[in-house]
Amino acid sequence: MKTPVEVTVNKKKYKVEVDTRMILADMLREELRLTGTHIGCGTGNCGACTVVLNGETVKSCCIIAADANGQEITTIEGLSSSATELHPIQQAFVENQGLQCGYCTPGMVLSTLQLLKDNPNPTEDEIRHGISGNLCRCTGYQFIVQSIQDAAKRLSNGGQPGASQ
Amino acid sequence: MISEEFEFRAPTKLAEALSLLERYGDDAKILAGGMSLVPMMTLGLVRPKTVISFNHITDLNFVIDAKDVIRIGAMTRHDTVAHHDLIKKHLPLLATAAVGIGDVQVRHRGTIGGSLAHADPAADYPPVMLVAGAQFRIQSAKGDRMVKAAEFFTGLMQTAVGAGEVLSEIHVPKLPAGAGSAYLRLHRVEGSFPIVNAAAVIEKGFKSARVAIGGVGESAVMIDVTKHLSKGVSDQSLRAISDAAYDASGDAYGDLNGDTEYRRAMARVYAQRVIKAAAAQIR
Repeated sequence: MKTPVEVTVNKKKYKVEVDTRMILADMLREELRLTGTHIGCGTGNCGACTVVLNGETVKSCCIIAADANGQEITTIEGLSSSATELHPIQQAFVENQGLQCGYCTPGMVLSTLQLLKDNPNPTEDEIRHGISGNLCRCTGYQFIVQSIQDAAKRLSNGGQPGASQ
Repeated sequence: MISEEFEFRAPTKLAEALSLLERYGDDAKILAGGMSLVPMMTLGLVRPKTVISFNHITDLNFVIDAKDVIRIGAMTRHDTVAHHDLIKKHLPLLATAAVGIGDVQVRHRGTIGGSLAHADPAADYPPVMLVAGAQFRIQSAKGDRMVKAAEFFTGLMQTAVGAGEVLSEIHVPKLPAGAGSAYLRLHRVEGSFPIVNAAAVIEKGFKSARVAIGGVGESAVMIDVTKHLSKGVSDQSLRAISDAAYDASGDAYGDLNGDTEYRRAMARVYAQRVIKAAAAQIR
Protein backbone atom coordinates (compact mmCIF):
# COMPACT_ATOMS: atom_id res chain seq x y z
CA MET A 1 0.00 0.00 0.00
CA LYS A 2 1.33 3.46 -0.94
CA THR A 3 0.60 6.79 0.71
CA PRO A 4 1.45 10.24 -0.71
CA VAL A 5 3.54 12.38 1.64
CA GLU A 6 4.52 16.02 1.33
CA VAL A 7 7.17 17.18 3.75
CA THR A 8 9.62 20.00 4.12
CA VAL A 9 13.01 18.64 5.09
CA ASN A 10 15.92 21.00 5.73
CA LYS A 11 13.85 23.78 4.15
CA LYS A 12 13.38 21.80 0.91
CA LYS A 13 9.93 20.57 -0.14
CA TYR A 14 9.55 16.91 -1.06
CA LYS A 15 6.58 15.09 -2.57
CA VAL A 16 6.90 11.31 -2.42
CA GLU A 17 4.80 8.15 -2.46
CA VAL A 18 5.90 5.93 0.40
CA ASP A 19 5.11 2.41 1.49
CA THR A 20 2.59 2.93 4.30
CA ARG A 21 4.63 0.57 6.48
CA MET A 22 7.64 2.91 6.40
CA ILE A 23 8.66 4.69 9.54
CA LEU A 24 9.89 8.26 9.21
CA ALA A 25 13.55 7.22 9.59
CA ASP A 26 13.12 4.78 6.66
CA MET A 27 11.61 7.49 4.50
CA LEU A 28 14.40 9.98 5.26
CA ARG A 29 17.09 7.41 4.50
CA GLU A 30 15.63 5.42 1.62
CA GLU A 31 13.30 7.83 -0.19
CA LEU A 32 15.08 11.14 0.43
CA ARG A 33 18.58 9.61 0.65
CA LEU A 34 19.34 11.58 3.82
CA THR A 35 21.36 8.86 5.47
CA GLY A 36 22.67 11.02 8.32
CA THR A 37 19.64 9.92 10.34
CA HIS A 38 20.66 6.56 11.79
CA ILE A 39 18.51 3.66 12.92
CA GLY A 40 19.86 1.91 15.99
CA CYS A 41 17.20 0.02 17.92
CA GLY A 42 14.09 0.89 15.91
CA THR A 43 12.05 0.89 19.13
CA GLY A 44 12.54 4.35 20.59
CA ASN A 45 15.32 3.61 23.03
CA CYS A 46 18.65 4.65 21.52
CA GLY A 47 17.93 8.07 19.96
CA ALA A 48 20.20 7.57 16.91
CA CYS A 49 17.20 8.46 14.70
CA THR A 50 16.54 11.81 16.43
CA VAL A 51 15.30 14.54 14.08
CA VAL A 52 13.66 17.91 14.67
CA LEU A 53 9.93 17.81 13.86
CA ASN A 54 8.17 21.19 13.86
CA GLY A 55 10.89 22.61 16.09
CA GLU A 56 11.09 19.77 18.61
CA THR A 57 13.33 16.70 18.71
CA VAL A 58 11.58 13.36 18.22
CA LYS A 59 12.61 9.78 17.55
CA SER A 60 11.89 9.20 13.87
CA CYS A 61 11.73 5.40 14.32
CA CYS A 62 8.53 5.85 16.34
CA ILE A 63 6.68 7.92 13.77
CA ILE A 64 4.92 6.41 10.77
CA ALA A 65 6.26 8.19 7.67
CA ALA A 66 2.75 8.92 6.38
CA ASP A 67 2.00 10.68 9.68
CA ALA A 68 4.71 13.26 8.88
CA ASN A 69 2.62 14.54 5.97
CA GLY A 70 2.57 18.35 5.92
CA GLN A 71 5.20 18.66 8.63
CA GLU A 72 8.57 20.39 8.77
CA ILE A 73 11.67 18.38 9.59
CA THR A 74 15.31 19.18 10.18
CA THR A 75 17.86 16.37 10.00
CA ILE A 76 21.57 16.45 10.77
CA GLU A 77 22.19 17.35 7.10
CA GLY A 78 20.28 20.60 7.60
CA LEU A 79 22.10 21.76 10.70
CA SER A 80 24.83 23.74 8.98
CA SER A 81 23.76 26.21 6.31
CA SER A 82 27.04 25.68 4.47
CA ALA A 83 28.28 22.52 2.76
CA THR A 84 31.86 23.24 3.80
CA GLU A 85 31.45 24.53 7.36
CA LEU A 86 30.28 22.72 10.45
CA HIS A 87 27.68 24.07 12.87
CA PRO A 88 29.31 25.24 16.15
CA ILE A 89 27.84 22.18 17.94
CA GLN A 90 29.40 19.85 15.35
CA GLN A 91 32.72 21.72 15.61
CA ALA A 92 32.63 21.34 19.41
CA PHE A 93 32.06 17.57 19.08
CA VAL A 94 35.02 17.33 16.66
CA GLU A 95 37.41 19.33 18.81
CA ASN A 96 36.46 17.63 22.09
CA GLN A 97 36.43 14.15 20.60
CA GLY A 98 32.75 13.78 21.52
CA LEU A 99 32.48 10.67 19.39
CA GLN A 100 34.25 7.44 18.58
CA CYS A 101 32.32 5.28 16.11
CA GLY A 102 29.97 8.18 15.31
CA TYR A 103 26.77 6.15 15.07
CA CYS A 104 24.96 8.03 17.85
CA THR A 105 26.43 11.42 16.88
CA PRO A 106 23.69 12.82 14.60
CA GLY A 107 21.16 12.20 17.39
CA MET A 108 23.49 13.55 20.07
CA VAL A 109 24.11 16.73 18.09
CA LEU A 110 20.40 17.34 17.48
CA SER A 111 19.58 16.67 21.16
CA THR A 112 22.29 19.21 22.00
CA LEU A 113 20.65 21.70 19.63
CA GLN A 114 17.35 21.23 21.50
CA LEU A 115 18.97 21.38 24.93
CA LEU A 116 20.87 24.60 24.21
CA LYS A 117 17.79 26.19 22.63
CA ASP A 118 15.78 25.52 25.81
CA ASN A 119 18.66 26.18 28.19
CA PRO A 120 21.66 28.05 26.72
CA ASN A 121 23.81 27.61 29.84
CA PRO A 122 23.09 24.13 31.27
CA THR A 123 24.76 22.54 34.27
CA GLU A 124 26.44 19.16 33.83
CA ASP A 125 23.40 17.54 35.44
CA GLU A 126 21.05 19.31 33.02
CA ILE A 127 23.23 18.21 30.10
CA ARG A 128 23.05 14.58 31.22
CA HIS A 129 19.25 14.82 31.51
CA GLY A 130 19.08 16.54 28.12
CA ILE A 131 20.83 13.66 26.35
CA SER A 132 19.20 10.88 28.37
CA GLY A 133 17.25 9.86 25.26
CA ASN A 134 20.46 9.16 23.34
CA LEU A 135 22.64 6.14 23.99
CA CYS A 136 26.36 6.03 23.22
CA ARG A 137 28.14 2.70 23.55
CA CYS A 138 31.68 4.05 22.95
CA THR A 139 32.57 7.18 24.82
CA GLY A 140 31.27 6.72 28.34
CA TYR A 141 29.59 10.11 27.76
CA GLN A 142 32.27 12.24 29.45
CA PHE A 143 33.66 13.69 26.21
CA ILE A 144 30.13 14.20 24.92
CA VAL A 145 29.26 16.22 28.03
CA GLN A 146 32.46 18.25 27.53
CA SER A 147 31.56 18.79 23.86
CA ILE A 148 28.15 20.13 24.89
CA GLN A 149 29.71 22.44 27.48
CA ASP A 150 32.03 23.74 24.77
CA ALA A 151 29.14 24.05 22.31
CA ALA A 152 27.23 26.18 24.83
CA LYS A 153 30.22 28.53 25.07
CA ARG A 154 30.59 28.69 21.30
CA LEU A 155 26.91 29.47 20.75
CA SER A 156 26.97 32.24 23.34
CA ASN A 157 30.08 33.59 21.63
CA GLY A 158 28.73 33.87 18.09
CA GLY A 159 29.88 30.39 17.11
CA GLN A 160 33.50 31.03 18.00
CA PRO A 161 35.43 29.06 20.64
CA GLY A 162 34.82 30.52 24.12
CA ALA A 163 37.41 32.56 25.93
CA SER A 164 38.43 29.65 28.13
CA GLN A 165 39.20 27.42 25.13
CA MET B 1 9.94 -0.84 8.50
CA ILE B 2 6.76 -2.42 9.80
CA SER B 3 6.25 -5.89 8.30
CA GLU B 4 2.46 -6.13 8.23
CA GLU B 5 0.37 -4.14 5.73
CA PHE B 6 -2.19 -1.71 7.16
CA GLU B 7 -4.41 1.10 5.98
CA PHE B 8 -3.45 4.55 7.27
CA ARG B 9 -5.94 7.33 7.92
CA ALA B 10 -5.16 10.80 9.25
CA PRO B 11 -8.35 12.81 9.80
CA THR B 12 -8.05 16.49 10.73
CA LYS B 13 -11.39 16.79 12.55
CA LEU B 14 -12.64 14.82 15.54
CA ALA B 15 -16.06 14.24 13.93
CA GLU B 16 -14.37 12.68 10.91
CA ALA B 17 -12.22 10.50 13.18
CA LEU B 18 -15.27 9.33 15.12
CA SER B 19 -17.07 8.28 11.95
CA LEU B 20 -13.96 6.36 10.85
CA LEU B 21 -13.86 4.67 14.27
CA GLU B 22 -17.50 3.73 13.93
CA ARG B 23 -16.91 2.28 10.47
CA TYR B 24 -13.76 0.28 11.30
CA GLY B 25 -14.65 -0.70 14.88
CA ASP B 26 -12.29 -3.26 16.38
CA ASP B 27 -10.17 -3.42 13.20
CA ALA B 28 -8.91 0.11 13.84
CA LYS B 29 -6.15 1.10 16.20
CA ILE B 30 -5.95 4.72 17.34
CA LEU B 31 -2.50 6.26 16.89
CA ALA B 32 -1.74 9.07 19.33
CA GLY B 33 1.94 9.90 19.94
CA GLY B 34 2.88 6.37 18.89
CA MET B 35 5.62 6.00 21.50
CA SER B 36 4.29 2.54 22.40
CA LEU B 37 2.16 1.61 19.39
CA VAL B 38 4.72 2.20 16.62
CA PRO B 39 7.53 0.14 18.26
CA MET B 40 4.96 -2.58 19.00
CA MET B 41 3.97 -2.59 15.32
CA THR B 42 7.64 -2.64 14.27
CA LEU B 43 8.17 -5.66 16.53
CA GLY B 44 5.03 -7.32 15.14
CA LEU B 45 3.37 -7.43 18.56
CA VAL B 46 0.39 -5.41 17.32
CA ARG B 47 -0.92 -5.86 13.77
CA PRO B 48 -3.86 -3.52 13.19
CA LYS B 49 -5.73 -3.61 9.86
CA THR B 50 -6.26 0.14 10.03
CA VAL B 51 -4.38 2.86 11.87
CA ILE B 52 -6.24 6.11 12.55
CA SER B 53 -3.81 8.86 13.46
CA PHE B 54 -5.07 11.61 15.75
CA ASN B 55 -1.91 13.67 15.25
CA HIS B 56 -3.54 16.01 12.75
CA ILE B 57 -6.58 16.79 14.94
CA THR B 58 -5.25 20.00 16.46
CA ASP B 59 -8.49 20.55 18.43
CA LEU B 60 -7.47 17.84 20.89
CA ASN B 61 -4.26 19.57 21.97
CA PHE B 62 -5.15 22.02 24.77
CA VAL B 63 -4.93 22.83 28.46
CA ILE B 64 -7.87 24.93 29.66
CA ASP B 65 -8.82 26.44 33.01
CA ALA B 66 -12.49 25.45 33.45
CA LYS B 67 -13.34 26.79 36.92
CA ASP B 68 -12.83 23.86 39.27
CA VAL B 69 -11.10 21.58 36.79
CA ILE B 70 -8.23 21.69 34.36
CA ARG B 71 -9.33 20.28 31.01
CA ILE B 72 -6.57 18.60 29.07
CA GLY B 73 -7.00 17.47 25.47
CA ALA B 74 -6.03 13.85 24.90
CA MET B 75 -3.46 14.81 22.24
CA THR B 76 -1.59 17.15 24.57
CA ARG B 77 2.08 16.12 24.59
CA HIS B 78 3.85 15.13 27.82
CA ASP B 79 6.22 18.08 27.41
CA THR B 80 3.28 20.50 27.50
CA VAL B 81 1.76 18.74 30.53
CA ALA B 82 5.14 18.99 32.27
CA HIS B 83 5.66 22.68 31.68
CA HIS B 84 2.21 24.27 31.39
CA ASP B 85 1.69 27.07 33.93
CA LEU B 86 -1.90 26.01 34.75
CA ILE B 87 -0.81 22.46 35.52
CA LYS B 88 2.23 23.53 37.51
CA LYS B 89 0.03 25.87 39.56
CA HIS B 90 -3.05 23.70 40.18
CA LEU B 91 -1.74 20.14 39.75
CA PRO B 92 1.99 20.16 40.53
CA LEU B 93 2.05 16.37 40.99
CA LEU B 94 0.81 15.93 37.40
CA ALA B 95 3.63 18.13 36.07
CA THR B 96 6.12 16.10 38.13
CA ALA B 97 4.77 12.84 36.70
CA ALA B 98 4.96 14.15 33.11
CA VAL B 99 8.50 15.47 33.39
CA GLY B 100 9.83 12.01 34.27
CA ILE B 101 8.28 10.15 31.33
CA GLY B 102 10.76 8.62 28.88
CA ASP B 103 13.17 11.25 27.63
CA VAL B 104 13.05 14.64 25.91
CA GLN B 105 12.17 13.20 22.48
CA VAL B 106 9.47 10.91 23.90
CA ARG B 107 7.91 13.79 25.85
CA HIS B 108 7.80 15.92 22.70
CA ARG B 109 5.71 13.33 20.85
CA GLY B 110 3.99 11.13 23.45
CA THR B 111 0.54 12.24 24.61
CA ILE B 112 -1.35 12.13 27.89
CA GLY B 113 -4.37 10.49 26.22
CA GLY B 114 -2.25 7.88 24.48
CA SER B 115 -0.46 6.95 27.68
CA LEU B 116 -3.71 6.70 29.66
CA ALA B 117 -5.47 4.64 26.99
CA HIS B 118 -2.43 2.33 26.69
CA ALA B 119 -2.88 1.68 30.44
CA ASP B 120 0.49 0.17 31.23
CA PRO B 121 0.29 -1.06 34.86
CA ALA B 122 3.31 1.03 35.89
CA ALA B 123 2.68 4.12 33.74
CA ASP B 124 3.32 7.50 35.33
CA TYR B 125 -0.13 9.09 35.02
CA PRO B 126 -2.63 6.59 36.52
CA PRO B 127 -1.76 7.05 40.24
CA VAL B 128 -1.98 10.81 39.76
CA MET B 129 -5.37 10.53 38.04
CA LEU B 130 -6.70 8.37 40.88
CA VAL B 131 -5.64 10.61 43.77
CA ALA B 132 -6.69 13.77 41.91
CA GLY B 133 -10.14 12.31 41.16
CA ALA B 134 -9.86 12.84 37.41
CA GLN B 135 -12.67 12.15 34.96
CA PHE B 136 -12.22 10.96 31.42
CA ARG B 137 -14.31 12.07 28.45
CA ILE B 138 -14.97 9.20 26.08
CA GLN B 139 -16.55 10.03 22.73
CA SER B 140 -17.90 8.03 19.83
CA ALA B 141 -20.01 8.81 16.77
CA LYS B 142 -23.08 8.02 18.86
CA GLY B 143 -22.20 9.07 22.36
CA ASP B 144 -20.28 11.24 24.75
CA ARG B 145 -19.74 10.12 28.34
CA MET B 146 -17.62 10.82 31.40
CA VAL B 147 -15.90 8.02 33.31
CA LYS B 148 -14.22 8.35 36.71
CA ALA B 149 -10.51 7.45 36.89
CA ALA B 150 -11.32 4.63 39.31
CA GLU B 151 -13.61 3.07 36.68
CA PHE B 152 -11.46 3.87 33.65
CA PHE B 153 -8.65 1.38 34.30
CA THR B 154 -10.32 -2.01 34.05
CA GLY B 155 -7.32 -4.36 33.93
CA LEU B 156 -3.90 -5.02 32.47
CA MET B 157 -3.67 -2.57 29.52
CA GLN B 158 -7.48 -2.48 29.51
CA THR B 159 -9.70 0.57 29.86
CA ALA B 160 -13.35 1.54 29.70
CA VAL B 161 -12.83 2.79 26.12
CA GLY B 162 -14.79 0.43 23.86
CA ALA B 163 -14.75 -0.27 20.11
CA GLY B 164 -15.61 2.86 18.14
CA GLU B 165 -14.79 5.09 21.12
CA VAL B 166 -11.88 7.37 21.92
CA LEU B 167 -10.58 9.09 25.03
CA SER B 168 -10.85 12.75 24.02
CA GLU B 169 -10.30 14.80 27.17
CA ILE B 170 -9.10 14.46 30.73
CA HIS B 171 -10.74 16.63 33.39
CA VAL B 172 -8.61 16.92 36.49
CA PRO B 173 -10.04 18.81 39.49
CA LYS B 174 -7.73 21.52 40.79
CA LEU B 175 -6.21 20.58 44.14
CA PRO B 176 -8.11 22.13 47.06
CA ALA B 177 -6.53 25.34 48.43
CA GLY B 178 -3.56 24.56 50.65
CA ALA B 179 -3.54 20.85 49.82
CA GLY B 180 -0.22 19.02 49.65
CA SER B 181 0.60 16.63 46.84
CA ALA B 182 3.50 14.58 45.56
CA TYR B 183 4.47 12.03 42.92
CA LEU B 184 7.43 9.64 43.19
CA ARG B 185 8.75 6.89 40.94
CA LEU B 186 11.22 4.05 41.45
CA HIS B 187 13.08 3.36 38.22
CA ARG B 188 16.25 1.57 37.28
CA VAL B 189 17.73 4.04 34.82
CA GLU B 190 16.77 7.48 33.52
CA GLY B 191 13.94 7.16 31.04
CA SER B 192 12.78 3.69 32.00
CA PHE B 193 9.26 2.85 33.12
CA PRO B 194 8.71 3.00 36.87
CA ILE B 195 9.00 -0.31 38.74
CA VAL B 196 6.69 1.12 41.39
CA ASN B 197 5.28 4.64 41.53
CA ALA B 198 3.08 6.54 43.96
CA ALA B 199 1.02 9.72 44.12
CA ALA B 200 -0.66 11.37 47.11
CA VAL B 201 -2.97 14.28 47.85
CA ILE B 202 -3.54 15.46 51.42
CA GLU B 203 -6.05 18.20 52.18
CA LYS B 204 -5.09 20.99 54.53
CA GLY B 205 -5.70 20.03 58.17
CA PHE B 206 -5.59 16.34 57.11
CA LYS B 207 -9.32 16.51 56.26
CA SER B 208 -8.73 13.87 53.61
CA ALA B 209 -5.74 11.91 52.36
CA ARG B 210 -5.36 9.55 49.41
CA VAL B 211 -2.42 7.60 48.10
CA ALA B 212 -2.29 5.57 44.88
CA ILE B 213 0.38 3.10 43.91
CA GLY B 214 1.25 1.79 40.44
CA GLY B 215 3.28 -1.21 39.35
CA VAL B 216 1.77 -3.47 42.01
CA GLY B 217 -1.13 -5.00 40.11
CA GLU B 218 -2.95 -4.99 36.79
CA SER B 219 -3.62 -1.30 37.29
CA ALA B 220 -2.81 1.29 39.95
CA VAL B 221 -4.53 0.92 43.33
CA MET B 222 -5.86 3.76 45.46
CA ILE B 223 -6.05 3.76 49.26
CA ASP B 224 -7.98 6.28 51.33
CA VAL B 225 -5.65 6.92 54.25
CA THR B 226 -7.64 9.74 55.87
CA LYS B 227 -8.28 7.75 59.04
CA HIS B 228 -4.57 6.99 59.50
CA LEU B 229 -3.64 10.65 59.24
CA SER B 230 -6.35 12.11 61.51
CA LYS B 231 -3.61 13.17 63.96
CA GLY B 232 -1.06 14.09 61.29
CA VAL B 233 2.08 12.32 60.16
CA SER B 234 3.77 10.18 62.80
CA ASP B 235 5.79 6.97 62.91
CA GLN B 236 2.60 5.19 63.89
CA SER B 237 0.51 6.65 61.07
CA LEU B 238 3.23 5.89 58.51
CA ARG B 239 3.39 2.29 59.73
CA ALA B 240 -0.37 1.95 59.28
CA ILE B 241 -0.12 3.42 55.75
CA SER B 242 2.77 1.08 54.95
CA ASP B 243 0.67 -1.92 56.04
CA ALA B 244 -2.29 -0.67 54.00
CA ALA B 245 -0.03 -0.33 50.91
CA TYR B 246 1.25 -3.88 51.43
CA ASP B 247 -2.29 -5.23 51.76
CA ALA B 248 -3.46 -3.35 48.64
CA SER B 249 -0.64 -4.74 46.49
CA GLY B 250 -1.45 -8.43 46.84
CA ASP B 251 -1.89 -8.73 43.06
CA ALA B 252 1.63 -7.46 42.34
CA TYR B 253 3.25 -9.19 39.36
CA GLY B 254 6.86 -10.24 39.16
CA ASP B 255 9.21 -9.53 36.26
CA LEU B 256 12.93 -8.95 35.63
CA ASN B 257 12.73 -5.69 37.59
CA GLY B 258 11.49 -7.33 40.75
CA ASP B 259 9.38 -10.15 42.07
CA THR B 260 6.04 -9.84 43.85
CA GLU B 261 7.50 -9.44 47.34
CA TYR B 262 9.98 -6.80 46.17
CA ARG B 263 7.19 -4.76 44.60
CA ARG B 264 5.07 -5.10 47.74
CA ALA B 265 8.01 -4.01 49.89
CA MET B 266 8.52 -1.02 47.58
CA ALA B 267 4.79 -0.24 47.83
CA ARG B 268 5.38 0.15 51.59
CA VAL B 269 8.40 2.39 51.09
CA TYR B 270 6.90 4.58 48.38
CA ALA B 271 3.53 4.98 50.14
CA GLN B 272 5.34 6.34 53.19
CA ARG B 273 7.70 8.56 51.19
CA VAL B 274 4.96 10.05 49.03
CA ILE B 275 2.79 10.80 52.09
CA LYS B 276 5.70 12.51 53.81
CA ALA B 277 6.49 14.50 50.65
CA ALA B 278 2.83 15.51 50.18
CA ALA B 279 2.42 16.49 53.86
CA ALA B 280 5.47 18.74 53.54
CA GLN B 281 3.69 20.61 50.71
CA ILE B 282 0.58 21.49 52.77
CA ARG B 283 0.35 25.27 53.01
